[in-house]
Amino acid sequence: MLSDAKTRSIIIQCALVGVAAAFAALLVSTTFANLRARGIPIGFDFLTMPSRIVISEAILTYKSRDPYYWAIATGLANTVFISAVVIVFSSVLGLVVGITRLSSNPLAAGTCRVWVEVARNSPPIVLLIFLYSLWWKVLPPVGEAFNPLPGVYASMRGLVVPAISMDVATPGLLVIALALALAAAGWAAARRGWLPPLAAPAILAVGVAGLWIADAKFSVDWPIFTGSNFKGGKELTPELSTILIGLTIYTTGFVAEIVRGGVLSVGRGQWDAGHSLGLPRGKILRLIIIPQMLRVIVPPLNSQYINVVKNSTLAIAVGYPDFLAVMNTIISKSSHSIEGVFIILGVYLALNLSLSSAANWYNRRIAIVER
Amino acid sequence: MKALSLSLQTAPMPGQIRVGALWRYAKLLFGTPLNAALTLLFGTMIVVTVPPMLRWLVIDGVLFDPDPNACRVAAGACWSFIYAKSGQLLFGIYPFDERWRPALVCLLILALLGWSVRPASWTPRLAALWVAALVLIFWLMAGGFGLIEVPTSSWGGLPVTLILTVVAIGVAFPVGILLALARRSTMPAIRIGTVVLIESVRGLPLLSILFVASIMMPLFLPEALLPDKFVRALVALTIFAAAYLAEVIRGGLQAIPNGQYEAAAALGLPFWRTQYLVILPQAIRVAIPALANTIIVMIKNTSLVLVVGLFDLISSGKAALADPDWPSPAAETFLFIGAIFFALSFSFARFADFLERRGLTAH
Repeated sequence: MLSDAKTRSIIIQCALVGVAAAFAALLVSTTFANLRARGIPIGFDFLTMPSRIVISEAILTYKSRDPYYWAIATGLANTVFISAVVIVFSSVLGLVVGITRLSSNPLAAGTCRVWVEVARNSPPIVLLIFLYSLWWKVLPPVGEAFNPLPGVYASMRGLVVPAISMDVATPGLLVIALALALAAAGWAAARRGWLPPLAAPAILAVGVAGLWIADAKFSVDWPIFTGSNFKGGKELTPELSTILIGLTIYTTGFVAEIVRGGVLSVGRGQWDAGHSLGLPRGKILRLIIIPQMLRVIVPPLNSQYINVVKNSTLAIAVGYPDFLAVMNTIISKSSHSIEGVFIILGVYLALNLSLSSAANWYNRRIAIVER
Repeated sequence: MKALSLSLQTAPMPGQIRVGALWRYAKLLFGTPLNAALTLLFGTMIVVTVPPMLRWLVIDGVLFDPDPNACRVAAGACWSFIYAKSGQLLFGIYPFDERWRPALVCLLILALLGWSVRPASWTPRLAALWVAALVLIFWLMAGGFGLIEVPTSSWGGLPVTLILTVVAIGVAFPVGILLALARRSTMPAIRIGTVVLIESVRGLPLLSILFVASIMMPLFLPEALLPDKFVRALVALTIFAAAYLAEVIRGGLQAIPNGQYEAAAALGLPFWRTQYLVILPQAIRVAIPALANTIIVMIKNTSLVLVVGLFDLISSGKAALADPDWPSPAAETFLFIGAIFFALSFSFARFADFLERRGLTAH
């Protein structure tokens, strides 16, 4: 009987499942016994109780008398905010750095190579702690704030950046305008097989026109220095600024390598073939090179974006309350550790799965259609 | 005549070479409008940033002066702190008189790593050598049998980083192979279980796994089975590394054509011998570049154990900075620690490049 492959496979599987189940049962029973011995209740009803924990910094409005679930949402919002900002900035910078690395100019290519090597070979947590230690050493007091870009001020107290302020009715309009723009883009892409060159300005024009027609109170709030303080704009603390800058520097190195690999993966023959068809450079790039490049860079870029979400947990190194840090405080404060672990696992899995399914959807759209 | 012109070409006047090279560089830097603009942009950036950095790092820096007050007066970096505190930075709170032991451990691990990267030494004997070395390392670090005993809570600095890296990757590698094979298994219970395990570990930040291991494990396990903090962090790192290595090895396995399996079956080889003799050697060779990348990520990841209270390089740096006698030069200390990590992972990356160029990845 044991020599029959099918029977053997069933026996092996049953044995393994049995061992796993026994192990799980051991874990669960010890956990319950340990919890009972320490007098800790189990259940999710603590979520609606006032948390009384302090969250030093939040994108959402949070007070310590708010319930636990709101504290969790606040931490999650911080994590999503960090991830989104870092993904946007490192994608743009990574594109520039990756292409500059391929430049024939040795000065430009060399500088970008140094950036990539430093980012790829140093642990992000060391980078963050180092940048954080530089904050008070390098930057001037608020009175002599450093002004690297118009509207951006850096000082010991953190960064001040222009804020976008919106009228209450504006978000709804913005959504309408965005939907319109996306519809237009989708229609154009479907007709041309690829986004036409004027798509981006057209989308922007549609959006702006929508806002203008609706007479939205949509304004950019530029920070103004008033001798001892800033009026307007958005102030980012040194902690938040360190995370945003540090993770952007770090991620840019990886995105740059992905972009460079993508550009190199499209053979010279593709350019030659385009030229021989009499296509101009811009059209070759848009119709031949970029579609093939995207196919190569989307999957690794996606895992890089997931890494950004995971790396945002390093915020704890400089004391910024991201989701994991907030959960950690909640667990030690409420001693609902089992529930806390499940929330942590569930939230990160949900975040990363939604990111990767979005990327997979995009990837399917740009993949080779084989007949 | 031909020989003459050749010799004229190959032996130009000394000045001509320099002009030629200069001309080539000038053309690269200013040949096209775009390159000229890039040169101006990057040149300005370098001129603005590099001289002040150099002044801070070297010219105004205090290099070896053992007097802490020299750092308070100087405008530059305080390297004498790193110099004076190097023992504490590298070995943490390990007992002072016993520091030769972690120093020996570091040298041993680095020497063994250097020895192991030569493709010529990749034999089953190497694994035995490593096991023997790990026993020796553990004896040197923990003591007993004639050496003073040192608990893991007093281990610190570079040896902790190196041991965590080497042991986590060393254990995770065979586990990763097993997981990769299990994920390709035809038995649904095994396949589904492995997929769930690998994908959940890969979907989670390492920090959350470390937290679960260090804070939650005391709740999950009976007191008697509970390992100490060092081992708990090591287990978390190993599980994390195994999930990532499994995916890399699975990629290698997918590159093996079916003919190889059929040929092994035709020879009458059973499952495990097919894997060991035919499939895995080829699959791992294909996966070497990706494996090297994963290992670099793991070298960098060990730095996260500081968050769960282990005394790695960063924590010992923080502890050294707490000395009130010195002006607490944090930037210099973290630059030093970053340089150690950089040296480890950069040299590993160059080694991976070398393997790729040697064509070891071709099969």
